[in-house]
Amino acid sequence: MLTRRRFIALGAAAATAPLVAGLPRPGLAQGRPLTFCSWGGALSELEKTAFLEPFARSKGIEVAHASPTAYAKLKAMAESGQPEWDLVDVGGRFIFQGADLLEPLDMALIPNAKNLDPGWVTPKGVFTSTGATIIAWNTKAFPADKGPRSWKDFWDVKAFPGPRGLYKPFYYNYEAALLAAGVPRGEVFPVTDEKVKTALAKLREIKPHVKVWWTAGAQPPQLLSSGELAMSSAWSGRIFAIMKEQAPVAMTYRDGIAWGNAWVVVKGSPHRKLAMEAINYAISEEAQMRLLDVGTYGPVLGAAAAKGNADQKKWMVTAPENAKDMLILNEEQAALYSAKYDADWNRFQLE
Amino acid sequence: MLDRLAGRLGPAALLLPAVALLAVVFVLPLLRLLELSFSDPAGAATPYVELLHDPIYRKVFAATAWVAVAVTAITVLLGYPFALALARAPLRWRVILFACVLTPLWISVLVRTFSWMLLLETNGPVNRLLVAGGIVERPLALLFNQTGVLIGMVHVLLPYAVLPIYAALVRVDPALLRASEGLGASPARTFLRVLLPLSMPGVATGGAFVFLLSLGFFITPALLGGASSITLSMLIDGFVNERLVWPLAAAASMILLAATLAFLAMAARFVAPAAVAEVR
Repeated sequence: MLTRRRFIALGAAAATAPLVAGLPRPGLAQGRPLTFCSWGGALSELEKTAFLEPFARSKGIEVAHASPTAYAKLKAMAESGQPEWDLVDVGGRFIFQGADLLEPLDMALIPNAKNLDPGWVTPKGVFTSTGATIIAWNTKAFPADKGPRSWKDFWDVKAFPGPRGLYKPFYYNYEAALLAAGVPRGEVFPVTDEKVKTALAKLREIKPHVKVWWTAGAQPPQLLSSGELAMSSAWSGRIFAIMKEQAPVAMTYRDGIAWGNAWVVVKGSPHRKLAMEAINYAISEEAQMRLLDVGTYGPVLGAAAAKGNADQKKWMVTAPENAKDMLILNEEQAALYSAKYDADWNRFQLE
Repeated sequence: MLDRLAGRLGPAALLLPAVALLAVVFVLPLLRLLELSFSDPAGAATPYVELLHDPIYRKVFAATAWVAVAVTAITVLLGYPFALALARAPLRWRVILFACVLTPLWISVLVRTFSWMLLLETNGPVNRLLVAGGIVERPLALLFNQTGVLIGMVHVLLPYAVLPIYAALVRVDPALLRASEGLGASPARTFLRVLLPLSMPGVATGGAFVFLLSLGFFITPALLGGASSITLSMLIDGFVNERLVWPLAAAASMILLAATLAFLAMAARFVAPAAVAEVR
């Protein structure tokens, strides 16, 4: 027979057992391998094969991979003091937006940083590959050689009719709208109230033609190849990846918004030293050269980019013939406008 | 044996494990969230002031409520005839119809929402069927607008309306219906004057379920909606993931919780607790 007391005790034990099992145990973090988190898709694939697998082999260690990057998770991990990720690929603006959540980089562990253009190195993050937010289109809507060639064309719904896609946050749209409004590349930054007003007014013009405000990098390639969208802003690597699969999609670097993929180390990471060594390896010439053959996201290291052949240079953001037509995204400014004008952006979306 | 045990222990003791579990995994985190909502460095009440004063957020609240009302109305209108068919069907058919209601419940909302994206595309099967059948001349815009949101949400939430209505319908004493017919009422009159009023508690319960679940819906409007289909939960997601302003996110969650509780208090006047308890 169960006594009353025993019955209750059993119930209480049964109710709390899974909780106790789920509590974080100190020391567990040291037991897991170096963990890298990135955005998934073509980028994660490249970072795994070109950077982290060779690094793991050379060190005789294991590297665990996670995706996709989520800033809220990173914040929660850093604030709990028990991060599950050590090394994370973030959008460049997060180096500034999330500075409190990141380990300062020990440049003594990253000597290769000296070989990079100084713009790619910041105290809390180093860019390891390059890409761009570009204009891509469905080739049934416009032939590959007769597509939009600028943000002005993107805004021109008479010459280029059809539904458009743009990124859901203000990010990239601020730049695209100003370029469409005829602001010279050199004057897009710094951000001012005046320029934000211009950008929003310009976006108001195109808004009725924007069918999808995309949130995941996988959306533009899918929506463009199915013909749901005629043209869209998109991440270059994702578009190259589906063009290789013969999808009816084309793109241009003209008026592209160039950026890098930044690697940061989460505050409190038990593997912070190893993570910084991994950053150092990723920007080594040996590792950067591997990006030339992958053909999705390009090298940050000028010395590696220069060794690319003519074919490879066609898709490289850093190749002079592409770079001359592009705007380099100022991530610090992007962090600023993303936070400061968020309410205005929400208002614009709901109008 | 179990009955005797339950009798000796009393309801309070039997509730204890569940209450203890909820206290730890629900009430404590909720209190933490409440605390977070008052932790803005700019002043404890700042997030609430911002959310309640800025017209843009009021617009989001209104849009969220509108979607919830529309989804509730459609699911009840679709769910009632289905529940009636379910209650009247012979046993074998009833098993099949029940499977139709319950199977989707076991498939992840994310999977179902993505499936709708493929089905509702401009060149997707639904539009191809409509065009080929000569029903419409050119493909309809079913995706990335309010229509897509309503289709997706109604599909996900329909079972929550069907089951309580079905439970109410099978409880109606068939003798009452026979009596109505025997007294010369037409089937329509019997339905309107006898069956419908008697099944109203089920409709109210199902409607309340659907409405409350709609208020917090996130995945479906995020994936199937357009720019202007921002619901409160999408706004909270933006605060949490994009801007990392957690006090604002916590305050918005508290407002959503308060609205939900207020609605529940109102609904409780129409929905007897017993009616909820009988929904299985």
